[in-house]
Amino acid sequence: MRINRTDLGFALFAAGSGALCWWLGGSEAVRRAFGSAGQTLLTIVPVFAAGLLLAGLVQGLVPRDKVKNWLGSASGLRGLLIATAIGVITPGGPFTSFPLVVALAEAGADIGVLVAYLTSWSTLGMNRILVWEVPLIGIHFVVLRVAASLPLAIVAGLAARAIGERFAGRPRKA
Amino acid sequence: MAGAELALWGLVVVLGVWAHMRSRTALREAGHRAFAFAKALAIRMPLALLAASFLSQILPRSVVGAALGPESGVLGMVVATGIGSILPGGPFIAFPFAVSFYDAGAGLPQLVALITSWSTLGVIRIVAFEWPMLGPRFVVLRVGATLLIPLLAGIIAAGILWAAP
Repeated sequence: MRINRTDLGFALFAAGSGALCWWLGGSEAVRRAFGSAGQTLLTIVPVFAAGLLLAGLVQGLVPRDKVKNWLGSASGLRGLLIATAIGVITPGGPFTSFPLVVALAEAGADIGVLVAYLTSWSTLGMNRILVWEVPLIGIHFVVLRVAASLPLAIVAGLAARAIGERFAGRPRKA
Repeated sequence: MAGAELALWGLVVVLGVWAHMRSRTALREAGHRAFAFAKALAIRMPLALLAASFLSQILPRSVVGAALGPESGVLGMVVATGIGSILPGGPFIAFPFAVSFYDAGAGLPQLVALITSWSTLGVIRIVAFEWPMLGPRFVVLRVGATLLIPLLAGIIAAGILWAAP
């Protein structure tokens, strides 16, 4: 496996935070960090493998003309609403959502739709709310946070379209 | 957790059968694409996880919680956005952090901003997943479009608490 510059950056980042951890918390903190990282890795590998296969399959199955039509740059507010709804129901962590974004982007979904999807999945994703947030923080906080976050995926999608037009200088097909 | 994993693999099987019925080469192509992703992430993901674990060991919970009190207002939400973006790890690490911040005196709107920032602007997730899979242009655009979202969520939450305490 080739080691590129990005991986080297990650290695330096890990080494730096490891040194900081050792300096502030001693060898006991470093040991605990290794333990929790290893445990997390074991938990996510099977989920991640499924997510990657899912993305590979979806990329082949998604009909490009339909994605362009429903989620392309001309999909307007409807596209953003659909993206928000898909974000709410997408199961799994970043191991499933990011591969899906890649698949949708290659099939012709526009930047606003992709940003709305990621914002919706990360702030309103049912799976994480039910599995983690309600048990760990409590329903009162969750209701408040979800109510405050409801319109924001659309806002982020609209902002991404506005920035995308200016940034790339590529006119959006109306 | 096990239920979610099984559901995910079930979905893989269903889609796999469907893809195979549509095209003989579909499964091999899907496998190639999945393997290409896995290869790109194989080194950096464990390293990012390790860095997140290191940082989560040394974050001063009580200091942070006290700085985000309800009276800290919009400035507190901005600080919460900054802290949320560097908050390490998955939900099993971040939500317990939020609870310890609350116990140390953080306000609810500030915590809403913090959790929203962690989930939309989390630096570790961006460098570990988004950058390698979607590229720098997408990352810059999405972060630009999302930068104010945590603050907005915090302000709306404060408004809700004010209207219906």
